[in-house]
Amino acid sequence: MSFIDDFLASWREYREPGYYDGFDYHWTMSVDLDRCTGCGACITACQAENNIPIVGEDAIARGREMQWIRIEKYWEGEFPDVKLRFIPMLCQHCDAAPCETVCPVSATYHNQDGLNAQVYNRCIGTRSCAVYCPYEVRYFNYNNHHWDAPLEQQLNPDVSVREKGVMEKCSFCIQRIRQAKDVAKDEGRRVQDGDVQPACVQTCPTEALVFGDQNDPDSRVSQTMNDERAYHVLEELNTAPSVVYLRKVETDAV
Amino acid sequence: MASIDRRDFLKLVGAGGVGTGAGFMLREAIKHPVENLVPYPVPPEDFSPGIATWYNTVCSMCSAGCGITVRTREGRAKKIEGNPSHPVSQGRLCARGQAGLQVLYNPDRVTTPLQQTGERGSGDWLPLTWTEGLSQISGRLGELRSSGQGGAVCLLSEGQRGHMHGLFEQFMANIGSDRLVYYDYDHPHPLLAAMNRLFGTSELPYFDLGNTDYLVSFGADYLGSWLSPVHHGLGFGRSRQGRDHHRGRFVQIEPRMTLSGAAADEWIAAIPGTEGIIALAMANRIVSQGGYQGDDADAWAAALEPYSADAVAEQTGVAAETIARVADTFAGTGPSLAIGGDGAGRHSNGVDALTAITALNYLAGNLGIEGGLIFNPEPVAGQGAAARHASYRSMLELAEDAREGRIQVLIVNQANPVFTMPAAAGIGEALARIPLIVSLSSFMDETTAMADLILPSHTYLEAWGDDFPEPGVGFRAGAISQPVVSPLYDTRDTGDTLLAVAAAVNPDGALTAATTEEYLREQWRAIFERDAPTEEGTAQAQEAIAAETVEAAAEVVAQAAPEDDAAADAPANAEAAVAQVAPAEGAVATNPDPAGWMPDAFDEFWNSLLRAGVWGENTRAEQGPVTVDASVIDAIGVDAPEFAGSSETYPFILQPYLSLNMHDGSGANLPWMQELPDPLTSVVYGSWLEINPETARELGLRDGDLVDVESPQGTISVPVLTFPAIMPNVVAMPVGQGHSEFGRYASGRGANPIEILAPQVEPETGSLAWNATRVRLNPTGRRANLVRTSGLSRDLGRGIIQTTATGEAEEHASTKLRSIPITVEPA
Repeated sequence: MSFIDDFLASWREYREPGYYDGFDYHWTMSVDLDRCTGCGACITACQAENNIPIVGEDAIARGREMQWIRIEKYWEGEFPDVKLRFIPMLCQHCDAAPCETVCPVSATYHNQDGLNAQVYNRCIGTRSCAVYCPYEVRYFNYNNHHWDAPLEQQLNPDVSVREKGVMEKCSFCIQRIRQAKDVAKDEGRRVQDGDVQPACVQTCPTEALVFGDQNDPDSRVSQTMNDERAYHVLEELNTAPSVVYLRKVETDAV
Repeated sequence: MASIDRRDFLKLVGAGGVGTGAGFMLREAIKHPVENLVPYPVPPEDFSPGIATWYNTVCSMCSAGCGITVRTREGRAKKIEGNPSHPVSQGRLCARGQAGLQVLYNPDRVTTPLQQTGERGSGDWLPLTWTEGLSQISGRLGELRSSGQGGAVCLLSEGQRGHMHGLFEQFMANIGSDRLVYYDYDHPHPLLAAMNRLFGTSELPYFDLGNTDYLVSFGADYLGSWLSPVHHGLGFGRSRQGRDHHRGRFVQIEPRMTLSGAAADEWIAAIPGTEGIIALAMANRIVSQGGYQGDDADAWAAALEPYSADAVAEQTGVAAETIARVADTFAGTGPSLAIGGDGAGRHSNGVDALTAITALNYLAGNLGIEGGLIFNPEPVAGQGAAARHASYRSMLELAEDAREGRIQVLIVNQANPVFTMPAAAGIGEALARIPLIVSLSSFMDETTAMADLILPSHTYLEAWGDDFPEPGVGFRAGAISQPVVSPLYDTRDTGDTLLAVAAAVNPDGALTAATTEEYLREQWRAIFERDAPTEEGTAQAQEAIAAETVEAAAEVVAQAAPEDDAAADAPANAEAAVAQVAPAEGAVATNPDPAGWMPDAFDEFWNSLLRAGVWGENTRAEQGPVTVDASVIDAIGVDAPEFAGSSETYPFILQPYLSLNMHDGSGANLPWMQELPDPLTSVVYGSWLEINPETARELGLRDGDLVDVESPQGTISVPVLTFPAIMPNVVAMPVGQGHSEFGRYASGRGANPIEILAPQVEPETGSLAWNATRVRLNPTGRRANLVRTSGLSRDLGRGIIQTTATGEAEEHASTKLRSIPITVEPA
């Protein structure tokens, strides 16, 4: 009985918003939709950094594309009063992540930096997490992928290459976070704002993406989170995402 | 008991001996090769295993000239980032720039010199050594030169800038030829001509997007493929949300929505080729409403008289009220900016249109001010390169010369006119008449496939070079391009190849450097000496020069640390952070040779240049008032655009646009670019024809239906895709696919719209009016595989993308980031 009580108590605590504020870092990204132009630089930067395979035309035709960040496009209106809006969609690193609770082998879990982490060699490929993810940002390796030589020489040695049967998704470039934390630890300090940014944030030409530590009130991302335009996608699901979007400003024709 | 006599015993011993020996040999033959557990027992001195090394160089994926910094590990390039110190990219990079690694590690590179042994285009290639290859070309060039026929040698290259242009010029002078031709499909001839006509300048201007309050773009896809997309993106972001004062607004006028059109606050559909007329109507409104008070106001009023908004509304498809409203805001908002791009410039009236559009900046007082149009100084090096850029018309002249036998040897460097010129030009057939074609390209593209001899060049990540970006950023800046990895294959620096040939053909020529690096050093020494501070100025200069900034820039780059909090002020930062001429004493701390070699001042300069990757001035020159010549004002006017094909037979106007992924086709061999969904349609791995949904319904066409697109010049087959933001009588198609060569990822995929373009030119510059071809659509009744990544194209009330009107923001403040606590009641 006491075991169940303990379990429920810790479960309750874990599901409480703000649980991760007690830890050192709470990595967060903000996406300014008023700046995003949908150019796709983030997509290629991510592919290069995270050893994301080229899956080929046939796989994409079957809906098996593999890009940890994508640009969703939504049309509004009809010609000539027509608008096209873009939104970059990536793993939201939800603090109350639906994917984490369904994994039978705990291959995906929340680490103490507020990251939704994926343990590749624990994953048995049930794909339950992908079904539960409301943002549809989990990607499954339906095949072993192959790089035509010498393209494999580009692979980032800091990131493992995944094989068939394994689920993968955006990690907020955890290898860069780990490196920044190592450097900070050697220098006896906390990771400062600007020490680390994921590949997508670093390359974004319009500076639409901002990454940082939500627990640091002076960080740029903490400030953008307080912007009156801030919102969460699918907020009603109460997944407490770590990705904050800033509303696109649409002016009336002046 | 069996008895073994002496004989049997010896036989057995012999057989055993042979068997043992054979077994040993066999084992030796089949055992695995020796592998060392540690691959580098003695590592090369410029890297440590496990530690990343960063090199600064210049991106060559398009002509913008972004500074990049490349992360290498164990001698392999792993990742490209923007160089935070470079004024163009400021630490940022586009998708194509990121994919540069797949140029370097492309499986389809030409890895060694090759000679065509069969017929041209047969693909029977025989590998050669460099000595053989170079002696073949040098021998032929030497013969021509000594017989006084040096002029029959043509060097056809992609555009070169900076000192590489100088090297190319000197090479041709050595051979005794004046046929140095640069060919880029999208070289901005019309814009240069318009700038020259209005202001007498031969430089592209700097468009200060970051500080502008109201931008009107006439068919310029400044965020996607036009001139300098990364830098424009930076400006766009800052203008939108990066400033303390109010947010900049963006208007886009074009027949088919581009990436910039989607990003704009207002998108206005206009009939193709009428952008310049709209600009004149805006100018008319500004002048007639008294928005322009200059001395020449009367001249403008007279010249603009026929172009009232009411008069042009029907012709342009834009309502008179809209034109008047945009014009009033444009004149009433300061600073504002009007830019005209390929959408407006690639018509029969292109130069007139761009002149009219650019003149708006003159009338609204946007010249030479922050947030307006800023004139660029002449680049430090590479003057005269612009004159070498061939237009469509001059390429036709080249083809004619080839047919007439006036060209004996053609050297092609990375240019691919066979792919980027319409079939009507007949360039392939003309080039085939040239007795010897030598290609210096790194890939087997359509033009290289016709060559007799390939002397493959390094890719840009293995090569030396330098660059002075065009358009510049309003002040003088340059950057060195240096190898970031050792060459992968038996290829050579283009410059090295040219230097070797020049030395063999004409040992007494002016070109004496042995390598490109040596050549560049000599050229930069001239810059260093010319700009070095004078004796009395030195102390002051040393104070003024932020010696630490060179260090800081190098430091930032070395760690790839992100920009600091002052990112919003980055233009100023970037100016301050670029390497300074003649760095102060001690600015470069490391002496590469511990044995006591003392670098002279130039070596210090050169080393800091390589480390920072960028050089420049930190001030913008003051600009005096600009006047437009009276004759130019009198002559201002835009004729109706001319199209090839009659509107009865060919009801649609074809708009072939430069793809963001593949540009003019040079990115089609990169798997990342094939797999990057098109930003507006999400299509991957193929071509498509965009058509208005209503028109498609009338024609009974659905997404994926294969149609034959027929122009007066030819037919291509391509699947249809309904596109909500295109005019009903216009169809659009991306350029880039449809390669017949160019490696496994590009060849045999999609179709090339350039192929069927009519040879319409803009008369003044002779540049191809690629938006001026009419087509008709013949349904084939077949379906094609149109692969897209996206799901639903409508939001359907899910509120995924939320918007806010200006002033409404507070309303959301109460609802922001709410989170409903979930509580689980204990059992």
